[in-house]
Amino acid sequence: MSRELFLGRLRTGLAGLPPETIEDFVADYAAHFDEGVAAGRSEADVAAGLGDPSRLARELKAEAGLKRWEAERNPSAAANAIFAVLGLGVLDVVILLPILLPILGTLLGFGITSAVGFGAGAFFFVIGAFAGAARDVGAAMLAGLGVMAGSVSLGALTALVTIGLVNALVWYGRLHLKLLKPALEGGEVRK
Amino acid sequence: MPEAVQVQLKRGVLELCVLALLSRADAYAYDIAARLAAAIDMGEGTIYPLMRRMQSDGLVDTYLVESPAGPPRKYYRLTPAGRTSLAAQKAEWTSFSAAVGDILGDEK
Repeated sequence: MSRELFLGRLRTGLAGLPPETIEDFVADYAAHFDEGVAAGRSEADVAAGLGDPSRLARELKAEAGLKRWEAERNPSAAANAIFAVLGLGVLDVVILLPILLPILGTLLGFGITSAVGFGAGAFFFVIGAFAGAARDVGAAMLAGLGVMAGSVSLGALTALVTIGLVNALVWYGRLHLKLLKPALEGGEVRK
Repeated sequence: MPEAVQVQLKRGVLELCVLALLSRADAYAYDIAARLAAAIDMGEGTIYPLMRRMQSDGLVDTYLVESPAGPPRKYYRLTPAGRTSLAAQKAEWTSFSAAVGDILGDEK
């Protein structure tokens, strides 16, 4: 494989990452080719020594996804990390999805329930203030506040469980990335 | 499947080997990759994801050095956390390999 072909495949595999991150990764391997050729090796020899570029791209992408999840705990980073780990092939999607989907569905349900509950609580709170008969105002507002507080704690619990779940997935993915997956050895191992 | 066992063993100690190389002298990635590939027959491409992970874990940091030919080289050096990690992993490896050696020795 020539230098151009190797770097092209690497770039294709990295698509979806921020452009400057891709350039950063590609520069590492371009420099490797430069050093190798300067040391008297052929491009094909350097490429063979490096291994499969698509596989390397997947590992780099997973690492970038996990790093992003550690830096910013938000839903898009979580989805990113989960897909990056799945992309490595260390989690068996067929086994995992039937387990993961109901859990994610339940969590989503809790999330929606808490949002709706909060809205309903706020509604009672406001209605109580404006429309209720004079003696009910305090009671309606208190009830509204109670429902809002309950919804917030349900939402917080859901968020905690979700973060824990994604962390567990990331931990599992990392463990495999580090120790178990003979991923980068290219053809000679995957016989 | 002995090949898979070999690869897993090597991947497990790769970080330890990089830490040990860097504890002797700072080095650039091609140099690390070439030396490890020659010594323990690792795929050279493996080194780059590993160096990024070690950098984000705070075990190594980088600086640029002008190269006689071509663009400046990115050199890696150990951080204090890297030295601590090397000491811990080395102790673990030494006791583990001694224990395995004892067991294997019994089967003579």
